[in-house]
Amino acid sequence: MYSAWAFKHKPKTLKEVVGNKEAIQKLVDWIKSWDKGIPKKRAVFLYGPPGIGKTVTVEALSNDFKIELVEKNASDYRTEEAIKSFAGLASQYGSLFGTKRIILLDELDGLTGTADKGGVKAITDIIKTAQCPIILIANNAYDPRFSNLRNYCLLIEFKKPTVSEVLSRLKTICLREGIQAEENALKFIANRSEGDVRSAVNDLQALAQGKRKLTYEDVSWLGYRDRQEVIFTVLRMIIYGKTCESAKRAVDMADMDIDMLFEWIYENVPAHLTDPHDLAMAMDALSLADVYRGRIRSTQDWSLVRYVIDFMTAGVAMARVNTKTSGWTPFHFPARIQMLSRSKAERAMQLEIGRKIKRRCHISANRASKEVLPYLRIIFKNNVEMAAGLAKWLDLTPEMVDYLAESEEKARAIKALLG
Amino acid sequence: MSFEMWAEKYRPKTLDEMVNQKEIVERLKSFVKSRNVPHCIFAGPPGTGKTTAALCLARDLYGDVYREHIMELNASDERGIDVVRETVKTFARVRSIGEVPFKIMILDEADNMTSDAQQALRRTMERYTETCRFILCANYSGKIIEPIQSRCAPFRFTFLPREEHDKYLKFIAKNEGVKLLDEGLDAIFEVCGGDLRRAINTLQAAASLGKPIDSKVVYSIAGRANPADVQKLIETAMKGNFIEARKQLRDMIQKYGVAGSDIIRQIHTEIFRTEIPEQWKIKLAEIVGEIDYRLVEGADEEVQLSALLARLVEAAYEMKGAKKV
Repeated sequence: MYSAWAFKHKPKTLKEVVGNKEAIQKLVDWIKSWDKGIPKKRAVFLYGPPGIGKTVTVEALSNDFKIELVEKNASDYRTEEAIKSFAGLASQYGSLFGTKRIILLDELDGLTGTADKGGVKAITDIIKTAQCPIILIANNAYDPRFSNLRNYCLLIEFKKPTVSEVLSRLKTICLREGIQAEENALKFIANRSEGDVRSAVNDLQALAQGKRKLTYEDVSWLGYRDRQEVIFTVLRMIIYGKTCESAKRAVDMADMDIDMLFEWIYENVPAHLTDPHDLAMAMDALSLADVYRGRIRSTQDWSLVRYVIDFMTAGVAMARVNTKTSGWTPFHFPARIQMLSRSKAERAMQLEIGRKIKRRCHISANRASKEVLPYLRIIFKNNVEMAAGLAKWLDLTPEMVDYLAESEEKARAIKALLG
Repeated sequence: MSFEMWAEKYRPKTLDEMVNQKEIVERLKSFVKSRNVPHCIFAGPPGTGKTTAALCLARDLYGDVYREHIMELNASDERGIDVVRETVKTFARVRSIGEVPFKIMILDEADNMTSDAQQALRRTMERYTETCRFILCANYSGKIIEPIQSRCAPFRFTFLPREEHDKYLKFIAKNEGVKLLDEGLDAIFEVCGGDLRRAINTLQAAASLGKPIDSKVVYSIAGRANPADVQKLIETAMKGNFIEARKQLRDMIQKYGVAGSDIIRQIHTEIFRTEIPEQWKIKLAEIVGEIDYRLVEGADEEVQLSALLARLVEAAYEMKGAKKV
């Protein structure tokens, strides 16, 4: 069973967290201040780009200070009522019998749209009267939606860790996994990650898992798939998206043709949605997206493309109900695209052979290529003499013999008999 | 063993050689005797001798030079209206020189012609009846438009009876020096269902292995030779292996060019044959129907059909759960 290294080697203590020492110190000072009574700002707002350890820091904090962490995700506070339901939690801290707790509201960016407007206000209300520390996390704290909320929070910015900080983290993981890695190989990964520790660890896992050694050659090809890294993030946002809005937003990030993005999703959904119900729902969403592609084609009304996007992103994201996020599943380039050009040539060849059969056998080239050709293939594989006889009788070209024989050796033997 | 296609080598040359479809052959012989042939529709499943009958009729009528008096056209290769207008017309309007005052046009797979092309054909048939007679071969006469049907003498071809089928294959096997076991013969009949062309092709491919033909050989040949192995596709999906099932589907569509509409039609048939609870069959039929409809509207056959496969995976999973309870 594979498990994601980004999860397995998650820092357990604040000391292990990569970089952001200053921000972490601010956070520690603030949490300590609670021991002397409720501070002026009852909430902190951690913000910064994805994958640099915001959530991890809070988890490590709760470990270090032995404070219970109550984690809420965007899906838990989509509506005002949902938020009020956990408001009670916020009303006490360190009571005589209760343990201390921190409330963490993660992925605040997920709160969007009019339906969630009440949500931000409800959170603000809770903070105003909170009796325990509340930590908010978002990529962008300066989003206008949070303007009022910001007034009640201590803002702490998380910055991208430096290359050498990421590098030392990768070294630690290699040590634990028993991998001997060349310094410049790890440096390459660290450089590429641009401070996103999580993606650096994912890259390391993709390249090094199951190996004893990791060389520079092993990693240098990564440079060619920079675009691929973007698409992996996009796919993650769609397949593991928690809100329709965030899944839909992935399309803007992808910076690629909608049809191509569709192929990526279509290729990767089955490996990631292991529950049969989820998979059927997701495939149904893709089927509907495809129906709209068909309608665009027949009506030439391109405004319908918004429904294609709805189903292929939000539709797929909402399909995930029972599948648990477990293990680490890689993303693949759409196999269908690779196959398409190959099979186009193949089908042309089949039809050519079909035409040859037609000249002899009173059957359409079309049907011959489907109904007779498969038998020829078997014969060409098994009986060189009969194959040569048929090749002559049907007047097949050397290329056709090659194609039917499937192996060079067989083809050579057949052609030798043909003279 | 001879090195040509046996299906062709053993195709009867004259009506006398045709062992099956006795009633049809008798009527065709009477046409030869009276030197007059009406327009005909030969309808019936594949491999039952429609094209053979047409060719035998022509040979009996014109002798060895029959090729000069006939034209074979495959509607599935050239089904457009232009072909009917140009090729057919050019052939039909020129009078034949010789004893028989008309030529014969054999239109194979005529049920694949568009209805526009059929309309054009209808006028050509009427106009050039004096110089040309048409024999339309089709799997389903229902797909031929009514006005053409009413102008043609209908002939209904049926699968060969089992004894005829066996006799024929045994004859070929003996002639080619191939050891065909009884169980091999049974297996051929089972997988080809009386389609003689397929049966002979299967026999030849099996013979190429160079060992006695038993049922195992036949099944392996049949499995490899059938690109649209829908049964296996459904099986894979029902076992819960969606990714493998999708790969099989992809091969069918991309590698072998099987039409999505053909696949879904076969899935529909197959579902009622599969061993699953009766209530589920109708539930699945509903799903198949929905996807069939989307197939028409959608842009991509594989996407639509794999959505169907995902539903089959789901259904099989639910069935298993239901059994446990």
